Amino acid sequence: MASRAEHAGLDGSVETGDSYPGIRDLAVIGDGRTVALVSIDGTVVWLPVPYVDSPSVFASLLDARRGGRFELAPRAPFESRRRYVPETNVLETTFVTEDGIARVTDALTLPVGDGLVPFRELARRIEGISGTVGFGWSVDPRFGYGAENGSIGLRSGIPVATGRGRAVAVCSWDAGTPHLEAGSVTASFGTVAGSAALIALSIADQEPLVLPSRRDVERRLEGTVASWRSWAAEREAAGPWHDQILRSGLALKLLVQSRSGSVAAAPTTSLPEEIGGERNWDYRFSWLRDSAFVMGALLGLGCTDEAEAFFWWLMHASQITHPRMQVLYRMDGAADAPERPLPLEGYMRSRPVRVGNAAAEQMQLDIYGDVMQMAWLYADARHRIDREFGDRLASVADLVCDIWPQPDSGIWEVRGSARHFTQSKMMCWVALDRAARLASTGQIPSRNVDRWRSEASSIRSFVEARCWSDRKQSYTQAAESEDMDASVLLGAKFGYGDPAGTRYSRTIDALRRELGRGPFLYRYMSDDDLRGEEGTFLCCSFWLAEVLGLAGRREEAVELLNELIGFENDVGLYAEEIDPSTSSFLGNFPQALTHLALISAAMSLTRAEP
Amino acid sequence: MTIWGALAGGFVGTLVLTTMLRGASELRLTRIDLPFLLGTALTSDRKRAKALGYIAHFGFGFLFASGYFAIFWAIGRSGWLLGAALGLLHGAFAGSALVNVLLPLVHPRMGDSMSAADSVARLEPPGFLMTNYGRRTPIVVLIAHVVYGAIVGGFIALSAT
Repeated sequence: MASRAEHAGLDGSVETGDSYPGIRDLAVIGDGRTVALVSIDGTVVWLPVPYVDSPSVFASLLDARRGGRFELAPRAPFESRRRYVPETNVLETTFVTEDGIARVTDALTLPVGDGLVPFRELARRIEGISGTVGFGWSVDPRFGYGAENGSIGLRSGIPVATGRGRAVAVCSWDAGTPHLEAGSVTASFGTVAGSAALIALSIADQEPLVLPSRRDVERRLEGTVASWRSWAAEREAAGPWHDQILRSGLALKLLVQSRSGSVAAAPTTSLPEEIGGERNWDYRFSWLRDSAFVMGALLGLGCTDEAEAFFWWLMHASQITHPRMQVLYRMDGAADAPERPLPLEGYMRSRPVRVGNAAAEQMQLDIYGDVMQMAWLYADARHRIDREFGDRLASVADLVCDIWPQPDSGIWEVRGSARHFTQSKMMCWVALDRAARLASTGQIPSRNVDRWRSEASSIRSFVEARCWSDRKQSYTQAAESEDMDASVLLGAKFGYGDPAGTRYSRTIDALRRELGRGPFLYRYMSDDDLRGEEGTFLCCSFWLAEVLGLAGRREEAVELLNELIGFENDVGLYAEEIDPSTSSFLGNFPQALTHLALISAAMSLTRAEP
Repeated sequence: MTIWGALAGGFVGTLVLTTMLRGASELRLTRIDLPFLLGTALTSDRKRAKALGYIAHFGFGFLFASGYFAIFWAIGRSGWLLGAALGLLHGAFAGSALVNVLLPLVHPRMGDSMSAADSVARLEPPGFLMTNYGRRTPIVVLIAHVVYGAIVGGFIALSAT
């Protein structure tokens, strides 16, 4: 996996400070606590600290002038290509100039090995491969989403930026003499074949900085590579899509918050669904909508520990709102997620930039199906659900019996008035069906199982009578609607309907006809009370591939999956959406649901291989 | 003022504190469950963890009551009001340092600020003032500890008469 990109070099256009990298040109590195996004031109454009949902130190992705960044690139015009060090989340970018070739290795290091480790550490190693390459670098930290420049000074000869209870030490070895100028640290140096320079940002949050030695950073960098390889070696990702499943698994692991087990929907906020538009959301929360896919992927990959941690986290986080569940919870398990705009320009002037997510206050019925499916998968993998959690899951099923007739905001969190969304009803059926199954295996109390079955039957009658269009020959977006919605595919995936049955076969064809653009699907085309348009939704296309496979249309499924895989970026990652005419990525990046849908489709088709 | 009074106060105080925290949990005010947090340090079996956690919690209840006794002994005064003041300090210490900082460091299943991708935490950390377990948690914890302190202080004072 590699691609080439041409750039003018640090002596050229990059220094103007008002350009935004394509979302497709980003790669992600992380340590299980936070992530950094690195552009193909070598710039770190996004780094929240200390956690993925914390305010940023670098956010030029959201405001090229005020956001802060870490540039590192040849001074002369260059081409770059990159890849992950195989089976790791450590990034390698190779710069080719007229005079030589050099390689930059980027990692957020893991606290491996002996010695005093920094609170967070971004390590960048620059190796000369051939010829000579003149590099320039500039660290321009801005604390609190660009709100504060902080102050920069020297501590024991090391440049240190401080602000908002945080500090960043810029440690460098053989990377030139750092100069302090106008809130940034800059330097230049050259590489020759066999040379090695190293730059490490040691970051502290509410504690004194650790100033590492070069040897310690090098050791941690090697240890980080080894640790990722060890994790990857234990994954179960057989079959023709092994590489894509493993890369998606590694991306997913970056979204798992190690301290709690929660999984972020994406590590970014407000990358727009339409360039210049208002569809910009903060995805640094754990969505219950993703929970069944998360559990399926973690168990499928053989991540038993992560699966158990996620189950525990979800059951604990939802305890305070029990038996109702919120659409999303914060990564630390808290229930509040107040939404507010930030005074940033926005990615390519797409405003507002939001932190927090008001969807937390919506009612979405589908999440109950996702959670019960998650619990079923967990129990089916020979985990025991203890009595307390069993009681709570049974109460959730009772609640579903009471609330399924109500309208809701649906899986897509439509911000207009509530409606009777088809997929929401289908997932309520899934919730009650899985509850009955769990009761039949003794995992949850069975006292109300007759009611669950009876209500499930009523839900089916509702959907079949009011959510099917004879004219469109398809399940529709909502009751008594003629609009289409790709989310109804999940009814087939989770067993509400027979994927090979008449209604789903016709629905698949209708969705491709009405919402399809080549291999892609729009999630819906109906009005959603927001201005502007959006791209095609990548997870929907992967759902379609999986459902085609479940429907016995294997050739179509494999062809579609392979076509979709052709649209990954150069390091195997996907955003939330794709512009079907330009193949540009849109929305937050990398997106868990897209990668989860890929894993699910690829594993499903691999299992069904003839 | 006798140590037996302190131990009796510790027992009753812990009983009331535990009941208050459990009640607050049932009222959806907080997700804090101190016996569970303590017990999961010893086992990953939830049922056994709760049982062991309650034993450990009462053990700590006696320990802190002995600490209160030592302070009262040192200053030569006791009483429910003084106990309540110590309880306030105790609750603030529990929320800001004891459960927030020290417990994650020794708890084998709890994440902390240094937990990274090479490890998997099974239990979410409490956060500053334990607010990860709900925004009202610090209030609930403080009130429960003030009541605990008042009971311990009252029992110690009673044992002196």
